[in-house]
Amino acid sequence: MGLTDAWGRLAVRHAHVLVAELPGYWMTRVAVERQVLARGWRLARSPADADILAVCGPPRPPLAQSLTRVWEQVPGPRTRVGVDSPRAVLAALDTAAADLLDTAAQRADGRDRTAEHGGTGRGGRRGGSTPDAYGHAGHHEPPHGIPLAAGGEDRDGLEMDLLRLRLGPVLAYWPAGLVLGCALQGDVIVDAEASLVGVDDATTVAADAPVTDDPRRFAARRCDNAVSLLGLAGWDDAASRARRIRDALLVNSDPDRPARELDRLRRRVGRSWWLRWSLRRLGPLDGPELARRGLPATAVGDVRDRLLAMLDRAADGIAGRHPAGPPLRAPVEALPDLVRGWDVATARLIVASLDLEPLVTGREVSRV
Amino acid sequence: MLLPVAFWVLAVVAVLAGAAVFMVDSMARASYSLAVSFVAVGLLVLLLRQHYVGVVTILMMVMEMAVMAVYMVMFMGMNPALMPMSMVHDNRHALAVSIGVFVLLAAGVLLVPWPARRGGPPVDVTAALGDGLMGPKMLVMSAVGGVMAVTVVAGVVLAAHRTRYDRFGDDLRRRPADDPQPGGVGR
Amino acid sequence: MSEPAVTVVPGGWAPVAAGLLGLLAVTAAALDGFLTARATGAGPSGLSQPFGEVARLMRQRRRTTVAADRLLWRTGGAGLLVMALLIIVVVPLGEWTLFDLDVGVVWFNAMDVLAWAFVWLTGWGANSAYSLVGGYRFLAHGLAYELPLMFALVAPAVGASSLNPGAIVAAQRGLWFVVWMPVAFVVFCAGILAIAVWGPFSPALGVDVAGGVAAELSGVDRLRFLGGRYALLAAGAAFAVPMFLGGGNGPLLPGWSWALVKTVVLLCGLVWLRRRLPAARPDSFMEAGWLVLLPAALLQDLVVAVVAAKRG
Repeated sequence: MGLTDAWGRLAVRHAHVLVAELPGYWMTRVAVERQVLARGWRLARSPADADILAVCGPPRPPLAQSLTRVWEQVPGPRTRVGVDSPRAVLAALDTAAADLLDTAAQRADGRDRTAEHGGTGRGGRRGGSTPDAYGHAGHHEPPHGIPLAAGGEDRDGLEMDLLRLRLGPVLAYWPAGLVLGCALQGDVIVDAEASLVGVDDATTVAADAPVTDDPRRFAARRCDNAVSLLGLAGWDDAASRARRIRDALLVNSDPDRPARELDRLRRRVGRSWWLRWSLRRLGPLDGPELARRGLPATAVGDVRDRLLAMLDRAADGIAGRHPAGPPLRAPVEALPDLVRGWDVATARLIVASLDLEPLVTGREVSRV
Repeated sequence: MLLPVAFWVLAVVAVLAGAAVFMVDSMARASYSLAVSFVAVGLLVLLLRQHYVGVVTILMMVMEMAVMAVYMVMFMGMNPALMPMSMVHDNRHALAVSIGVFVLLAAGVLLVPWPARRGGPPVDVTAALGDGLMGPKMLVMSAVGGVMAVTVVAGVVLAAHRTRYDRFGDDLRRRPADDPQPGGVGR
Repeated sequence: MSEPAVTVVPGGWAPVAAGLLGLLAVTAAALDGFLTARATGAGPSGLSQPFGEVARLMRQRRRTTVAADRLLWRTGGAGLLVMALLIIVVVPLGEWTLFDLDVGVVWFNAMDVLAWAFVWLTGWGANSAYSLVGGYRFLAHGLAYELPLMFALVAPAVGASSLNPGAIVAAQRGLWFVVWMPVAFVVFCAGILAIAVWGPFSPALGVDVAGGVAAELSGVDRLRFLGGRYALLAAGAAFAVPMFLGGGNGPLLPGWSWALVKTVVLLCGLVWLRRRLPAARPDSFMEAGWLVLLPAALLQDLVVAVVAAKRG
């Protein structure tokens, strides 16, 4: 029918895309973001917000299960595209748009889902206190088979439940492939365990070489991390500017405009008293601590200092002054120590401020 | 015609929502049943043309139920479960006492010879009510409000287990303060 | 005042008022879409954002989570729109109003406190860690902004010696209250941003917790919740006009059009603020609210009270 089609086309012109980045496919993810925003689409924050799931890179087993779980939570009409290289992005997004308009296929998908899962999506776990004070505990079945969380004392001496929450691997402004298993009391992280999924030796080698060679990509990578940090800090204007600088660095070879824009952004961010108030004294690190944890010396200070250092390194990269040799990496083993005791918002700001490169670790998993 | 209907509807809602507080399984539902009951009472007060008192009742009760959600997490953990949790204890005594009090008050309401109304309500009902309740002691009443707020704050400060000495060190000179999470004003 | 400040229009005009609120909300959403599209550079203008989002969300299926408290969840989501409608019931548009409540200012205060209930219920009902964290972030913001907002609302009431919005408009015939109550105006605007979970007060919907309170919402529930935010911005801006900006007073144009113009200008300003300011994290805003905003609001009230006492 004409009206349904017109409605569908209007809806698809404003689709939301959830981007899942696999380690080693950073350029692809950047290209997807650029194309999504250029079409007037938006980047989704959660599966419930998404119409299209764009997977950057071929999903390997541990990530494939996470992606399946995320895919199950996307409400219909929905479509899933895999993008393996920056050149394939346009075609993939066009296909996605056409899939969303294909009403018959979407209806079939809807029927299949209802048949499989009884019409409900999976949700997060939540804890509850055992009602021992009221004397009716013990012989009840946990609701829906999800066990209740046990309690423990939190930092203020209150007895709070311990909730296990995994941050990642599919999360906005989150390093690719990183999974941080947190134990939360309230929203304070009391215990954490970092691991990488979807990373093998080939990926780390492949991700290793290009970034050091090309100063523009080095600067673009710094700008990308600045986008994440500014986005997490809630400053959308600055995050958009940083994103445009990143895209300009990668797309065209004009050296002056990105450098000027970056200089302006750096000054704005440095001058912003609100950002200083918001980010100060978060995750402070001093020299001896950095050495002890194996972190680079540039990570000194609090989140704001690291943000400014990140932008300075990007400017150095564009000007060709970036340090030669292997790229500075923050080892993933150090992460649990850095986020322990902070709440989720601050922990995410700290992780984003570390300016993580495509990840490499000495060991696969670390635990506090 | 509309007024008696509204009165009875709100009265029934208030009583049923109040009873629901003890019959539901989850703390959040209990809090918000209580909120619904109080909102119905606030609307009843509005029907008595006590506009200020009625609206303030609604305001205070909704905010209190939201604050109760904060206390719920503080004392009962992240999330009191939908696990069937009984909201009552010592049922038999409590039921007996509450039914007894209800019968007593209802008897009082129905059997006391209320005086007949003389004249009409004043123009500014709220001001007249305030005058009648507080009268010549208005200044004391205003001061009492401030004193109560100060007492609440002082009580919280005394009850907190981290004192100034924990935060600033024994000589009260350490800056910034040693807090698990930095505050917003740099104190 | 011998003649009434406002005339009460019959209840049949309520749908018109709701329609006006809807128009203002759509304007706010279109402006936000435009500013977002402009920030990304190339691409469509973004003005069709509200219509596109409505189309997309109406086409999207609703979802639920395991063991969600559906009653509370859906009540929370739908509540913001109801709140906005209840707020504008007492707002005078020029010299017309739906309900000339003599305690209109307190009514606004009661309605804005409902946001505490609805946003938290949306966060709690979804049975999801992220949305619960978002709900509690909102309550943390609430504990910080609500008292300053209440004291900011006292200022125009004392200045006009009345809690009636119509009387407050009438008292601004000579000078708008925003001129000599700027602190109260700023705190009031902060309160509006906070109840709409907008701009600096958006951590409850933050991207760091996958959308916070709205993390598990989709389809028409998401539309109600996010549409409610825009409606609250519009209703709050509409209420600020009689409180601080002189209501319908102004030369040339009739009262209702001045009121609309002022509302639209303030609404555009509030929408514009979102992208310009970083988020105020709840734990740091808590101290700022109690130690900076509250004393400022109280001092403002003192100044207003002294002036009012000297005048009359």
